[in-house]
Amino acid sequence: MRIVVGIKWVPNTQAVRIDPETGTLIRKGVPSIVNPHDLPAIEAALRLRDTVGGEVIAFAMAPPPAVKGLELALGMGVDRAILITDRVFAGADTWATSYVLGNAIVKIEREYGRVDLAVFGQETIDSSTAHIPGQVASWLNWPYAYYVRDIQVSGDSKIRIVRELEEYVEEYEVELPAVLGIAMRALKPRPVSLYNKLRAKLDKNVIITWSNSDLKLDPRCVGLKGSPTIVAKTIDMPEVPRKKEVYKPRDPRDGAKWIISKIVEDEKLRELLVKKLWGE
Amino acid sequence: MNIPSKFDTIVVGAGPAGCASAYLLAKAGFKVLVLERGRGVGSKELWGGKAYAQPLRDVWPELDKEAPIHRWVSKERFSLVWGERALTIEYKLGRKVAFTTYLTELVNWMARKAENAGALIVDEVRVEEIVVKDGKVLGVKSGDDIVYADAVIDAEGVNRLLLEKLGLVDKLSPDHVALGVKEVLSLDPKLIEERFMLNRNEGLAWFVAGDITLGLPGGGFIYTMRDSISIGLVLPIGPAARAAEKGLLKEHVSSLVEAFRLHPYFRSFWREADVIEYGGRMTIEAGLKLMPRKLYMNGLLVVGDAAGFLVNTGYTIRGVDTAVISGKLAAEALIDAFNNGGPTEENLKSYEEKVKKSYIYSELKNHSGIGDVMSDPFFFQKIPQVAVKAASKLFEADYEEPKLIRSFLNAAKEENISLLKTIYKLGRVAGKL
Repeated sequence: MRIVVGIKWVPNTQAVRIDPETGTLIRKGVPSIVNPHDLPAIEAALRLRDTVGGEVIAFAMAPPPAVKGLELALGMGVDRAILITDRVFAGADTWATSYVLGNAIVKIEREYGRVDLAVFGQETIDSSTAHIPGQVASWLNWPYAYYVRDIQVSGDSKIRIVRELEEYVEEYEVELPAVLGIAMRALKPRPVSLYNKLRAKLDKNVIITWSNSDLKLDPRCVGLKGSPTIVAKTIDMPEVPRKKEVYKPRDPRDGAKWIISKIVEDEKLRELLVKKLWGE
Repeated sequence: MNIPSKFDTIVVGAGPAGCASAYLLAKAGFKVLVLERGRGVGSKELWGGKAYAQPLRDVWPELDKEAPIHRWVSKERFSLVWGERALTIEYKLGRKVAFTTYLTELVNWMARKAENAGALIVDEVRVEEIVVKDGKVLGVKSGDDIVYADAVIDAEGVNRLLLEKLGLVDKLSPDHVALGVKEVLSLDPKLIEERFMLNRNEGLAWFVAGDITLGLPGGGFIYTMRDSISIGLVLPIGPAARAAEKGLLKEHVSSLVEAFRLHPYFRSFWREADVIEYGGRMTIEAGLKLMPRKLYMNGLLVVGDAAGFLVNTGYTIRGVDTAVISGKLAAEALIDAFNNGGPTEENLKSYEEKVKKSYIYSELKNHSGIGDVMSDPFFFQKIPQVAVKAASKLFEADYEEPKLIRSFLNAAKEENISLLKTIYKLGRVAGKL
């Protein structure tokens, strides 16, 4: 089975701050990381490969420093990695990105043979659109399942997947090839191994770079030019400083009232609530 | 897959000591692999902010031109604080001796030098064991993978899990290590220079003792970076833990750092600055006591913090330059050994001899009194208290000022400390600081 897994190289949003004047991200000095939600997707792909055999190919559309992220995937055990990088791809929204990724999967099929499964993290920490796996599936015309927590091979060219939703669990049988979005925190990613990491560093053939001269896509359909999304406005939600207060009531009801007095700002609503609860 | 089955040397840890060793060995043509636990070289580094340049130039003569130097330290300040009151001494340096920087940046530069010289640096890999057979080090183990080498340089840092496993060191005692906690406050370089009265690209290093640690052993530091200020506290763990057990220390250490940041004497230096980073790290308090029983064995050398090479004089702390020099001495000893029959125990003995002849060892010995100071609250409670009180008698007199000596004697009397005891205590450590 040949599985491709998409990786996004994102600014570490825990370290990113927002410019209060322009509303844009201050990326200066902020290290980039592999989108943490992609790690369970890598793990899912590796587990499937370890059970049924085949290979896992990680791919990312990103600027050259993202090689570091692909090294992480290789360190975890991915067989090879492809960095899709070109100035014309810069500034892409999800539409233009998924167009490139979909076409990259077509090229992977041409170069290495049939791709059975494309897996992605459900969403990314820097934009949280969750568009990419669905859009890639549309470009390829493959079935798509999301919030997937478990994948089992069931017979020829079919998989059974488990989706865990808030109140119930769904099981589907999906025809291959297919695209899956792996639920956040669904699987614990394995640590990198020394040998895999050494291989990533020493084997020059293990990371392949493709530019648009390899993919040959219309420059008007990719990058900023190919992106119909317009960000109208961003509003920075300022962090609310946390303050610790300790209140030790003798009667738990006093504690409840105290909490209500702290969290319900509107006075009328607060009185109504207290009256409803305690008839006072 | 074409993994070389064997390296000449594996360096565990890409800190200043590990990078210096790797750089010199690679430059001499040896096949070197550096294994680093953090994601990205330098990601585990945390310090106050000042490095001494000359020892670093011994390894990298191009330091001044190439290294990420933020500011050359032109002023050293020392303050004793108690309550709102503070007594400060400032010294203006006459030449470029030390510089401020982020250690992460500096170590990245060192690692790049090593890589350019031919060393292979692999991050995100945790070495779990140094593999030994029949008394000889064979390589290192991570997970199920073993990589072999003729020699291993242990530069694992202060938390010496590998050396513990080898039986070369005992478990760390809380009395030999301290907790450092730091905040980075971002501020316009011009404002930094204005407020600390510095010329362009000049920096300041500031040590603070007193009740910012609630009178516990330890102290505060302030360093000016290019466009930020590092502030923080260092608390020896043993005394702090005992104070916590007795109920004398109730607050989390982060609250102490916050109180330091908001201290009326200091806060105007970083008014309007944003806290952009914070972090904590364990550091060495008493270097000599942490030295392994042996700095070498058949196929192994120990360098940097792992060897206890951090010099604390009480007024300056030096760990980066000593780490780099120990890395240099290890590389030199190893190159000699490779050229003379291999890194046997006998051939590596010269490393320990070189260390004992170097300034690292003499500095550790000369300042060994710091251990006694650091474990005695007297120096951090009574001394600042009396000094600040004496100053208050001199400078806060409405009508009559006492004579200088009177102000001290009275302050000492009010704080219930005997002059004899003070002289005895100071005398006991004075020769070792």
